[in-house]
Amino acid sequence: MSQNVEVAKPHSDALVRLIDLQKTYYAGPLAVPVLKGLNFEVKRGEFVGIIGTSGSGKSTLLNILGMLDVPTGGQYILEDIEVEKLTDSELATIRNKKIGFIFQSFNLFPHLTVEQNIEVPMVYGRVNAKERRARAIELAQQVKLGHRLGHRPTQLSGGECQRVAVARALSNYPAFLLADEPTGNLDEKTSGEVMKMFHGLHDTGVTIIMVTHNPALEAHFDQVIRLRDGRIESIVAGGTER
Amino acid sequence: MMLPGDLIGLSLHNLLLHKIRSVLTSLGVIFGVGSVIAMLAISEGAKQKALEQLQALGIDKILIYSKKPPQEGSASNDQSMVERYGLVEKDLQNVKKMDNIENVTAMRNSRLKVLRGLTSLDTKLVGTDIGFQKESNSKITRGRWLAPSDYENDAQVCVVGKDAKRKLFSLGTTDVVGKIIKVEGRSFKIVGEIENDIGASFPELDSPNDMILVPSKTLQSLTKNYSFIMNRRTSSITLVEYDLLLAKVRDTFYIDDTSKRITSYLSKAHGTKQDWGVLVPLDLLKQREATQNIFTIVMGSIAGISLIVGGIGIMNIMLASVFERRKEIGTRRALGAQKSDILFQFLIETVFLTSLGGVLGILTGIGISKVITIYADMPAVYSTWSIVASLAIAGSVGVIFGTYPAWKAAQQNPIEVLRAE
Repeated sequence: MSQNVEVAKPHSDALVRLIDLQKTYYAGPLAVPVLKGLNFEVKRGEFVGIIGTSGSGKSTLLNILGMLDVPTGGQYILEDIEVEKLTDSELATIRNKKIGFIFQSFNLFPHLTVEQNIEVPMVYGRVNAKERRARAIELAQQVKLGHRLGHRPTQLSGGECQRVAVARALSNYPAFLLADEPTGNLDEKTSGEVMKMFHGLHDTGVTIIMVTHNPALEAHFDQVIRLRDGRIESIVAGGTER
Repeated sequence: MMLPGDLIGLSLHNLLLHKIRSVLTSLGVIFGVGSVIAMLAISEGAKQKALEQLQALGIDKILIYSKKPPQEGSASNDQSMVERYGLVEKDLQNVKKMDNIENVTAMRNSRLKVLRGLTSLDTKLVGTDIGFQKESNSKITRGRWLAPSDYENDAQVCVVGKDAKRKLFSLGTTDVVGKIIKVEGRSFKIVGEIENDIGASFPELDSPNDMILVPSKTLQSLTKNYSFIMNRRTSSITLVEYDLLLAKVRDTFYIDDTSKRITSYLSKAHGTKQDWGVLVPLDLLKQREATQNIFTIVMGSIAGISLIVGGIGIMNIMLASVFERRKEIGTRRALGAQKSDILFQFLIETVFLTSLGGVLGILTGIGISKVITIYADMPAVYSTWSIVASLAIAGSVGVIFGTYPAWKAAQQNPIEVLRAE
């Protein structure tokens, strides 16, 4: 462990804890280590940025944080849940209940309306239709799309689509939002608006982990984790830009 | 797992997105189910028709009939001869005495030539017992049936069948009761008309519709048992006492035993002379059923093959659809869909697709059988079970051929498919 930070210790308000997290891919006899022992924690209500160039392992880290993948070594603890002990079905349930995914290209369902898109995670969470509808309307209003409920994603602008995606991510009251380059497909102005919305959510106490290659966003985060070659280069507390 | 209602809604929604594709995809199943329905309808119709025809002969009957024995050696050189063959009074009495025989109706063809003007008709003048009308299930359409008094008095009366009447009288003649017909110098007064609308047809005697029926005693007193058949070169006397014995059994369960006993009695009594035959309509029915079964197997195989081909087509389309919707699958998995959610989404979609094919196939099948009914005069009978079975088959095709694509969809690695664009 040749890192310039101390090993994360159990902490009462830590939401996410990574302890010596490793991920190695195997291509035949060849072992390709991608994540080489990561230690950090995310506190409840924090806005954390994970920044790295391509090849730094940030996509792999994103997949593990999003429970789409499991580590090959070390520990990932979400609240009190140790991820590596979970079955595929349990991982799906945690993705549904605890994690709000936001994708770079929005990944909305083109044939569903805004309201129906927001409802999808609740459908998998077995929420009944009436409650789903009420929650979807509430969230749409929260992201200022209350007047667009019946529209389809193709009728919306990029910024609006990303707002729908955020509303969808929030629908099951997740433990944290996990955003993958959420402004990657947006122009500068719209990016600014979307970042502003994230700050708005952060202010209401939502925990956000954002993965990006864009160092320009650093100023937005409470905590900036820089990745390089599968290791943490630095963890710095940022000054939140507004 | 998501709520069942949501799962069904989702699958239906996806099908409705591609209406034309859905219908084209299910074409194989449509034709498969269509041919199943048409086949069953036609086969059921044929079965019922056969059943009706044989019931007209009577499934509780054994038909014992006389037939001209095959000519032996150089018999053709005999210019003039007396031909004596067939069932005799002793046979009738012995059959009557047998176990399980309720009654026997005897018939004799007079072999008199029925003429209209100079034209010889193929109408037969038949002497019969009083029970024939009832036993042949013929209906009296005008006048009356032969009465006991006709038998006591050797009355020269007759009852004409529907077709016999048409041939004997000019077109448009309706009421012939009371008219007199002459057959080779003998006159008979018509007292009634009968019609057999269930298609009874007896060996050597054919349909009651084409008979002129007279009391057996009257015929006996007029012609004894002789029939003269003359033509330019030969003249022969045919001596047949009875042409047909219509034996009714008490219990159809033992009909085979009874017919065997009759057969063995006749072989003994008539020796080597092959001048008789025994026919059991129930046996014919069984034979028809056997033939029908072969037809059903052949048609069933064709339908089966088309269902398999249709199923493979659907599997292919669904596999393509899984590939096309990788990103959707990945997103759904990321948002918390279980593997089973994805599996059932695709499986239910396939089952809906094939069930839709089933419904359209049933309509197609009814259409096909209607066309066959019109052009081939084969009645079609639709049974509830065939429709239920077709839907079940269509659904099973969906399950069988939908499982692999659905499993494939559920096995997609969300990380990889999310990266796919």
